[in-house]
Order: sequence, then structure tokens, then C-alpha cells
Amino acid sequence: MRILVVGDGKVGHVLAEHLTREGHNVVIVDIDEEALQRSEDTLDVMCIRGNGANAKTLIDAGAQKADIIIAATASDETNMLCCLVAKRLGTQYAIARIRDPEYNESLNLLRHELDIDMAINPERATAQEISRLLRFPFANNIESFARGRVEMVEFRAQEHDAVVGRPLREIAAKVHGIPQVLYAAVERDGSVIIPGGDFVIEPGDRVHVAADVVTITEYFRFLGKNSLRVKDVMILGGGRIGYYLAKMIAPMGVHVSLIEINEKKANRLSEALPDVNVIYGDGTDQELLEQEGLTQMDAFIALCDRDEENLMTGLFAARQGVPKVVVKNNRVAYADIISSMGLDSIVSPKSITCAHILRYVRARVNGGGTKIEKLYRLMDGKAEALEFVARPNDSYIGVPLRELHKRPNTLVAVIVRAGRVIVPFGNDHIEAGDNVVIIACESGIGDLNEVIRK
Amino acid sequence: MNKRLVLKILGATLLIEAATMLPSYVVALVYHDPGDGEALLKTILIMVFLGLPMWFLAKPRESNLRAREGFVIVALAWLGLSGFGALPFVFSGYLPNYIDALFEAVSGFTTTGATVVTNFEHYPHGVMFWRSFTHWIGGMGVLVLTLALLPQMTGRTSHLVRAESPGPSLSKIVPKMGDSAKILYLIYAALTALQFAVLLLAGMNPYDAAIHTFGTAGTGGFSNYGASIAAFHSPLIEWIITFFMVLFGINFALFYRAITGDWRDALRSEELHWYLGIYGTATIFSTMLLLPRYHGFWEALRYGSFQVASVMSTTGYATADFNLWPVAVKMVLLLVMIVGGCAGSTAGGIKVVRTALLFKLGRREIRHTFQPRKVQVVRFEGKGVEEGMLSQVAMFFCVYVLMLLLGAFAISLEGRFDVETNLTAALTCLSNVGPGLGAVGPVENFAGYGPFAKLVLSLLMLAGRLELFPILALFHPAIWRKS
Repeated sequence: MRILVVGDGKVGHVLAEHLTREGHNVVIVDIDEEALQRSEDTLDVMCIRGNGANAKTLIDAGAQKADIIIAATASDETNMLCCLVAKRLGTQYAIARIRDPEYNESLNLLRHELDIDMAINPERATAQEISRLLRFPFANNIESFARGRVEMVEFRAQEHDAVVGRPLREIAAKVHGIPQVLYAAVERDGSVIIPGGDFVIEPGDRVHVAADVVTITEYFRFLGKNSLRVKDVMILGGGRIGYYLAKMIAPMGVHVSLIEINEKKANRLSEALPDVNVIYGDGTDQELLEQEGLTQMDAFIALCDRDEENLMTGLFAARQGVPKVVVKNNRVAYADIISSMGLDSIVSPKSITCAHILRYVRARVNGGGTKIEKLYRLMDGKAEALEFVARPNDSYIGVPLRELHKRPNTLVAVIVRAGRVIVPFGNDHIEAGDNVVIIACESGIGDLNEVIRK
Repeated sequence: MNKRLVLKILGATLLIEAATMLPSYVVALVYHDPGDGEALLKTILIMVFLGLPMWFLAKPRESNLRAREGFVIVALAWLGLSGFGALPFVFSGYLPNYIDALFEAVSGFTTTGATVVTNFEHYPHGVMFWRSFTHWIGGMGVLVLTLALLPQMTGRTSHLVRAESPGPSLSKIVPKMGDSAKILYLIYAALTALQFAVLLLAGMNPYDAAIHTFGTAGTGGFSNYGASIAAFHSPLIEWIITFFMVLFGINFALFYRAITGDWRDALRSEELHWYLGIYGTATIFSTMLLLPRYHGFWEALRYGSFQVASVMSTTGYATADFNLWPVAVKMVLLLVMIVGGCAGSTAGGIKVVRTALLFKLGRREIRHTFQPRKVQVVRFEGKGVEEGMLSQVAMFFCVYVLMLLLGAFAISLEGRFDVETNLTAALTCLSNVGPGLGAVGPVENFAGYGPFAKLVLSLLMLAGRLELFPILALFHPAIWRKS
């Protein structure tokens, strides 16, 4: 597909990198020569210098024949205009990054009037991600598949967990009463393993398990991890993410304390969020945190502008015994280091934005084969979970899984048939119309036939 | 320096060179000249035996190509190409001295067309075909061909193409480098086939037509006759070759734009206007000065337009000994020799776009002296040009002139010929044209130089073809240090 990326910032660059790796023809548009030079040197893309909202620039970039335009410049207005112009010129789909809360209220109207197919608000998406993490505090990460029927949960294995220290195939027999789940992927020392039956989970591993919603809840109850419920939350930083998050979780009966260093901003937040306990003060001041009852909190969320402050206060909160700590971190390269320090729940608005957009783009790829329904990037993009719908004429239909040729480093994780969730074993087979979830240690798979065939 | 990756890609270019030698081998089988086929086959086998292990056994730890590796690969690939491409001349006994053979091969690949061959009558057909075919390969570039043929070479390949394709900035025609390379070669092959067909219709035999088509398409200028195009005594052939020489000096991206989109849009290219403007002016000027020497306007135009096209597109074919022409015409030829063709074409020289930018830069500087507060943005193709690019262009010209002077000085150390000969020999090699003035004029050749001068001139040709810096970078110690 021909994809235009307007705005060669961090998000634009990372998107272009992923899209070219998946074989798309990518054209990047930006005004800044230096940014374009960097992209031209490192990526196999075409770069056009100019204003992306200018029709002439867009024509130069090939908007008339383009399939998708992704507008990710720093300005919401430019992004909207880019999409509008490109659509008029003949681009098929338009994706815009729109982050101003003012526009958010009228987003549906804007999207309809400007003919934007997908509007992504990075801060709001991040807030949504965090609120999900708070609902299942034992998990580092949760993804849902097949319209919410299947959930995949990431947790860090601890020494006393019943699943630690024995091969996976023996767990069901040796541990009495444990619900059956699929061990989809394990991250150990920064690398991702798709475990076989002989695999032994060690303490400190980040384990991904998948099953239907009821089983997964039972599983974690069995492991004794589901006892915690988040009732008191402290949010550091009243920026956009903090605002959206407080607004999302306060109505769910959660007591939110929101710390903001800027007095005017704090006043405005207090006005906009009457249910929230807004505190004016410096969140990096440990005394203030303790005064406001940090030790009694069920969760601590650090959303300052600077990654370092988030990391330090996050570590402090964890040391003080707060059971759930979430930190915002924008530099992907540091994620491994932070995780090695014991902070597992890291959110990055940029990565989340990229993941959402990639998910949308992939769903538009019609390679003639099986279409990807959904795509999830796991473990900072080291692995992916892909959801497909099986097609009637493919070669794998009706053949037991053990007899299929399987691509290395992939796993058929879950099959959903007529609303029933199957965690597949060798004797199970795939029928036409099934939703199939695949875990892969590589990116770029676009078709179920690339993973399994007869 | 990622040495394994460099080795792997060099292996690939060797294999591709072996493949490109196969057509010449087929020609040798057809004509059965003694020693001809053997020489080519021996070279092919040597390249395959060296290239295969390099390609398959070199396992790079990372496949990322940085600017450093890009430069080194391009420079070494071209040295290797010429080094191995020279072997058939030696093996066949046609040019028994390896330095002569190397000069001939470098001249072929860099599309210069300067020759040391004197015995045109008893040439082996296959080796002679190879000599011209190197023009065709070298014109568009070997690494571009490698990219077009090897789909797995993706990622940061822009450094390779940037170092190899002529022009101050890299302009891709489609987003993917591999696709760009394929499209360029397709256009190139189609135009080549067209010229071959037209020359056949004009009455050339297929062998001569192929030789002269390769010479024109790559803007090289090798002929299998000592008298070059004059040997055919056919005005029709001269007009055809004039047309195609001008055509192959045009940026290939414009052909793509003309085919896929609006041809009027392609005609609006500012570089094209400059190119045709300079060509037209030089042609009219030469024709006027040539009027007294020839019978009537049309004959003067025929000789003038051919020679200006030949020198400006840096082909180097000749229909007349322009050594005997008026000195003003000779100067015009020297000037367009420096200008050369458009960026993204197969021609040499400093390129029309750089000439235009230098002109605009000069004009701006003049204005700046008496109106220093006026903000002046240099515009080209309707867009403002970055200051960085402008200083790059100015720097390029300085280095070009410096190389020209130092090169002329180096070859004069041998103590042969006069200043005119040595200066124009250096210039014609640096601009990849072929003939110069004086003792290296269009009816002469480079056989009179000694081995040292031939090596210096070979280096100038390579530097000119790769636009100076990749070759110069090889001599910089920092490029070999660990990064």
C-alpha cells in the first residue's frame, strides 16, 4: 500500500519504520530538512519537503493514488487539514492525531465533517491503557481479543507462585485444581521465548497467559493474585493524561489524589474535576507525598513531563510499599532498564499511538489472504499477537494442528468458535469462520497462511 | 567498519559482473575469433569462484549500512569491477599490458571512452563487445543494478545509491529503493532497445549497432572504428546518434514522470531548461563559427550539433577532428565538457544542476556586495535551496578544479606533450568525456602516455564518475579506523 506520513517526529519516524518493514511504500512529508535527512538515511522511504496541508506538496507526495494518510504533526489543526485535503485529492483513508481536549468534546462531529477515518488522541489512549491496568492491578499488561471474549494478561512470576519451577506440561497434573490457560509467551532477560511443554518458568519471568475471561479470573484467584482492588490512587502530574485518567476512574468509585505543581493549572483541574482531590505542590517532594498518604495508596501513577522524575518517584513509591506503580516513559530504549529495576507497568504515549495506528493500517491491508482483524504489540514490540478470521478455502482448514507445518517462533494461542473459547492442543483443528489468535516473535506477518499450512 | 557486510556486497557485485559478461561470451561464440571466448570464460570463472564464497560465507553481524560502508562499498566495487573487467583484454592478448587493459576497463565502466587501442582492424569480437558493454553497465551503475536484482538488499541502501548516482541530491522516483532501481533500468533498457532498432533501420549491421548503442546509452563513446562515427559516412546515423546523445544526458526521473504522469509537467523541469538552453546556445555559436569551413548552414549545423551533443553529454564520439576547428569552438567544447549532463542521467561532468546553482550563487554574491541586507534565497525547480546544499555545490566545484589541476600536474611529471594536451586529458577523464585536445584529440588516443599517467588518469575517471568524494574518502585514514 502507498502510505503518506505527514510529520517526521518520533511517532512519524517509528510508524514509517514499521510500515516499510511490512513492505508498504511510505512517503514522509515534513518541513524540517534535518528530520527528513535522518529518515532518508535510515529508512527506505521517499521524503518530500513541504507543508503537509498544502495541496501541491500532497500531490508531489502522491496523495491522489495513496491508500492511507497519517497526519502526526505537532499541530492538531494541521493534522485535520492534511486529512481533509488528502481525502479531497483521492486518498482512501485518513488518520489524524488530535490531542487538544477542546477538540475532543466535538471529536465525533469533527471526524464526520472532515471525513477523518480515525482520530487518535495519544493522551486519552494512554489514560485508557492505565485505567485498564488499574482494574487488574496484578497484571502488567492486558489485551483482549475476539471482541473481549479472550484476554491475555502479562504478570511477573514470583518465587512462591505454583506455576514456577516445573515444566509447563506437568502443571495441570501436579498442581491440583489449577484452571487451564495457555502460556503464550515469556520474557526473560530482555528476550522473548514462546514456551514449549518442557519450558520451566523461573521467578522474575514476565509471563503472558491467555484464556477466556472467566477462566483467567479463576486462574489468578487460584494463584492468589486477584485479592487486590484499587480504591485509592495517587496521580502525579496534572497534564492531559492525568486529567483524562482522573476523569475516567473517579466515577468508578476510586478516590483520586492528583498532584500538580502549577497553581493555576491546579485550580483549573479542581474546577473541572469536582470529585478529585487536587493537591497543589511539588510531586517530587517526598515529604508531600507521605503527607498526602502515599503509603495508604493502592496505586501510584507518575505522569510528569520528565521520564527521570517519573522513574525516581515511581521507585520511591514502590519502596514505600505501594502495590501498583505505573510510570510514563517516552524513551523506548530505557524501558528494559526500568523494567529491570522492578517497575513493570510502563506506559509510553508515543508507543501507544503507534500501536493504535499500526493496528488500524494492518486491518486495511487486503493482500488477498486472510485479513488481520487486530494486532497487538507485546513487550515493547518484541512480540506480536495477531487475530485472524479463518477463510473457507485455506489449506489448514479441518486439519489437526499437530499435522500442520508451523512457522518457527509462532504459536496458535486461541481459537474462538461460535463464541466458545478453545485453548488448542495438537488434536484441535481450525474451521472456517473461527477467530484465531497467533503469537509471533517477529513482526510483519500479514496472513494466516504464512503461519500455518498443510 | 562493518567489513563482513562490505565483503558480502562486493561478492554480489562480482557475481553480477560475471553475469553481465555472459552476453559478450555469446557474441564470442558466434564469431569464433581465436582466444576470444576463452579469455571471457576464464574471467567469468575467476569472478564466480571469488564472488560465490564472498556472498555466501560472509555473515555480517548486523545488516545496517552506514554512510561509511556505503562509500567504501561503492569505491571498492568500482575498483574491483575495473580490475576484473580488464582481464579479458589481457587474456585475449589484445592489450597484453595490464595497465593498458585497466585504463581501458576504467574508461569503459566510467563511460569515458578514452582509449589506448590502436589496432582496430584485428579486434576479437567478443572482447570488443565487452569493452562497449561496460559503458552500458557503468552508465546507470553497478550497485543500482545490484539493488534492482537482489530484493533482499533492503534497509539502508540509500547510501549506496547516493554515492553512485550522479547529482547533488538523491531523488528517488518511488518510495522503495529497490523499485526505483528497477524502474530506472527498465527505462534505460527500453531507450537502449529503441536506439538499437533505429540504428538497424538506418542501415548499420547488428554488431556495429549494438556497439554504438551501448556507447551512446552509457554516454561512453567507445567505437570499433578508429574514426569513430565518421567511419559510417552517413548523415542519417549522425543525426540519430545526436538525438540519442542529448536524450541520455537528461535526468531519467523526468522520463518516468513523463510516462506515468503529465508529460507537460516533466517539460517544466528547470534543469531540463538549463540543459537544453546551454546545448542550444553552444550549438548555434559553434555552427556560426563553422560556417566558413563547411558547405552551407545544414552541414555546419550537422557537425556542430553532433560535436556539442557528444561533448556535453560526455559521450565523446566524433564526426570531425575538432582539433582543427577555430579556437573559439574548441573553448566552447571545453566549457560544455565541464558542465556535462543532468543529474540522474548517465552523463558525467559537474552536472547541469550544479552549474545552474553555481551561476545563481555567483549572482547572489555579486548582489550581496552592494546590497548586503537583502535576503536572497536561491531557488531551483520552484523551491528554495538549503544553504547546506549550496555550500556543498560550491565545495564540489572547488575540489573538481583542484583535482583537474593536480591531475594535469601529475601526468605532466612524465614529461610528455604540452600544457594543452595534459590539461585537456585530465579534464576529459575527470568529466568522463573521452577525447581532449592536442595530442589526445578525437583522432588520437591515450597510448602515448606512460603507465604512471595512465594510472593517474584512471583514478581521475573513477573520481569523476563517482562524483569525487567516494574515491577521495578511500584515501582518508579515518574511514578505515574502528567506529
